[in-house]
Amino acid sequence: MTKRFMVMAGLALVLASGCSKSGGGASSGTSAGGSTQGVQSGAANRLVVWSFTDELNGLINDYYKGSHPDVTIEYSMTPTEQFPNKLDPVLSAGQGAPDVFALEDSFVRKYVESGLLLDLTDVYESVKDKMIAYPVEVGSYNGKVYGMSWQATPGGMFYRRSLAKAYLGTDEPAEVQAYFSDIQKFLETTALLKERSGGACVVVSAVGDLIRPFLGARTQPWVVDNQLVVDPAMIEYMEFSKLLHDRGYEGRATAWQEGWFAGMRGELKDEAGNPVEVFSYFLPTWGLHYVLKNNAPATSGDWAMIPGPGSYRWGGTWIAAWKNTKNPQAAKEMIRYLTTDDAMIEDYAKKSGDLVGNLSVVEKIKDSFSEPFLGGQNHYAQFAEMAKTVNGKMTQGTDQAIEALFNESLYAYVNGEKSLDQAIADFKDQVNAQLGL
Amino acid sequence: MKTHAWGNESRLQRWGYFFVLPFILVYSLFNLYPTVYTLFLSFTDLKGLRSDFAMVGGANFLRLLKDKYFWGALGNTFIMWGWNFIPQIGMALLLSIWLSDIRLNLKVKGPFRAIIYMPNLLTTASVAMLFRSLFAYPVGPVNQFLQSLGMYNEVLREGQVIQEAFNFFRSVPMSRGIVAFIQWWMWYGHTVILLMAGITSISSSLYEAAVVDGASGSQTTWYITLPLLRPIMLYILVTSMIGGMQMLEVPFLLTDMRGAPDFSIRTTTVYLYNMAFQGVNDYAYASTISIGVFIITLVLALFIFFFLQDRSDMNKR
Repeated sequence: MTKRFMVMAGLALVLASGCSKSGGGASSGTSAGGSTQGVQSGAANRLVVWSFTDELNGLINDYYKGSHPDVTIEYSMTPTEQFPNKLDPVLSAGQGAPDVFALEDSFVRKYVESGLLLDLTDVYESVKDKMIAYPVEVGSYNGKVYGMSWQATPGGMFYRRSLAKAYLGTDEPAEVQAYFSDIQKFLETTALLKERSGGACVVVSAVGDLIRPFLGARTQPWVVDNQLVVDPAMIEYMEFSKLLHDRGYEGRATAWQEGWFAGMRGELKDEAGNPVEVFSYFLPTWGLHYVLKNNAPATSGDWAMIPGPGSYRWGGTWIAAWKNTKNPQAAKEMIRYLTTDDAMIEDYAKKSGDLVGNLSVVEKIKDSFSEPFLGGQNHYAQFAEMAKTVNGKMTQGTDQAIEALFNESLYAYVNGEKSLDQAIADFKDQVNAQLGL
Repeated sequence: MKTHAWGNESRLQRWGYFFVLPFILVYSLFNLYPTVYTLFLSFTDLKGLRSDFAMVGGANFLRLLKDKYFWGALGNTFIMWGWNFIPQIGMALLLSIWLSDIRLNLKVKGPFRAIIYMPNLLTTASVAMLFRSLFAYPVGPVNQFLQSLGMYNEVLREGQVIQEAFNFFRSVPMSRGIVAFIQWWMWYGHTVILLMAGITSISSSLYEAAVVDGASGSQTTWYITLPLLRPIMLYILVTSMIGGMQMLEVPFLLTDMRGAPDFSIRTTTVYLYNMAFQGVNDYAYASTISIGVFIITLVLALFIFFFLQDRSDMNKR
């Protein structure tokens, strides 16, 4: 009995994906309605979706459900920090795992490298000419694609126009970019800002802000052949941070803490009560909408964005499927639809302003943007250019743990607690003890 | 007739098993099984997103013995627990003696007891986050307060002495002190309640007899209250140590979830969490840490019982 239902439901699924949508919906509707075991026949056309972000739920409710009425979605949401702890046991046990799930930047690689995800290479092959390269690179392992994203989240350097005008004589993005085009120029301009402002203007509020451009400048990932590699770019970053700190070129704040947000509003003060003017913040696409706009609404119009000294990326959400899903075709179709479908992605991009991974949509709509918060700058076209230069092949599953240990050594060195050699030696030792690399 | 009653009784006795069954089930499922499974895992090499593993014997325990970071974490745990326990028991003794003193007969001891117990009702995680922002650098309430008193951290920068805010979470003693303070603040009220219960259970005739004999307040405290409180203080010491060995939320959330500055507030449990749930998910080694902590706690608890137990009764025999 059960077997027959599975066969019928499987047939219905093939019909659903092959034939017109209304036909598929009707056939699965009758089989579900006509049976006493509606739950079971529904199971064949059911996708269990787990996410840590409402964004995915929004995409499913607004677009997917309308165009795929034959598939029942069972959605469950878990906060980001608990998400891996919920997903890991079911994935490694091979029981009770969701069919489709969202994966966050900080842990996506762990799953991509696990061998437990559904191979999406054929989905990607059918769309590869129109997709931005780096999100797929992040979602690929050993030449196969396991995770795809609807968005791209390159990062840039957001600066205050009024400060640029006052100290650099221009607030035009192209001209300001010339002041920050590489690390050397960045350092020279930093000194210039400090000097011309009489000591008030710092280039960043926290040295931690600069880690991502330096991570982006690496030529090797953290782990090569099961060995930890400290790329010269990371040592340069440590020395650079120390220099900024010792000369008072940074605001001594910590990202996501009070001083960091105060700097955005132009309200950061030093211990003597003198204002500290923060020239720039290194943030990605979402940083504009969720960090700057939310925390410094009064500064609207006084910002602009440039690529800064190096390209990097930060954050983002991927969608992947479990390799033993009962519905691989439906799961693949869901991922294809939500991450690449032209009509759907275009509508979504227009409504949300999110930089999407589908380049043909990006090319079509990118000139229509003008961001009042950035003084009318077209951030979308700028981000689209920046996304193309990001290298997604540096990302690995152990990055988050390694970078947390690296940051401890960085701060110990920057604050003068340890010498550079000692800090690096301790970092390597901790990585060895905790990660066995 | 008699046999019948006996049979009836034994039939009724069988119901006892049904009454304890829920507890046995819940305990075996959520307590015993995980404990045994953890012990089992500590002999395997389970790691990452896998469910298959091999038995590796005592390899993990050898690694634990040689892991300087584990012993470092154990040291951190003890330092912070000690800094919390000594003031805690001292403060709690003082308060409980005052609050239960018949001669002082304080009026508002009910509400006062409730107030000092209150920090214990707060979620540990939110307390950690609260202290994290209180001691924030360079802008934070504590730093602002210290600056209003004219207190600064003087640093040498490019040959110049500059007055800066205190970067509490880059200072090893300060960070450990803050953890110990939070633990103390959250738990001394609880200890006061326990000690007061202990004091109330001391027979009042002892005090009356002492007063008749002309003993002063300090003498009754020193020769009656404190010696008779020994068992309850022993209990507090052991439970507090067990709790201290499992210290996780505060040191975990206060800084970078890895025990910054310089891993000095990384407790054994934080280290365990780092191993199991951050990085490469080394469940086997995390289980070994957990078993190691269990053994150390057990040994210490037994040690405390054998050496600090009141043996005056035994001597008499």
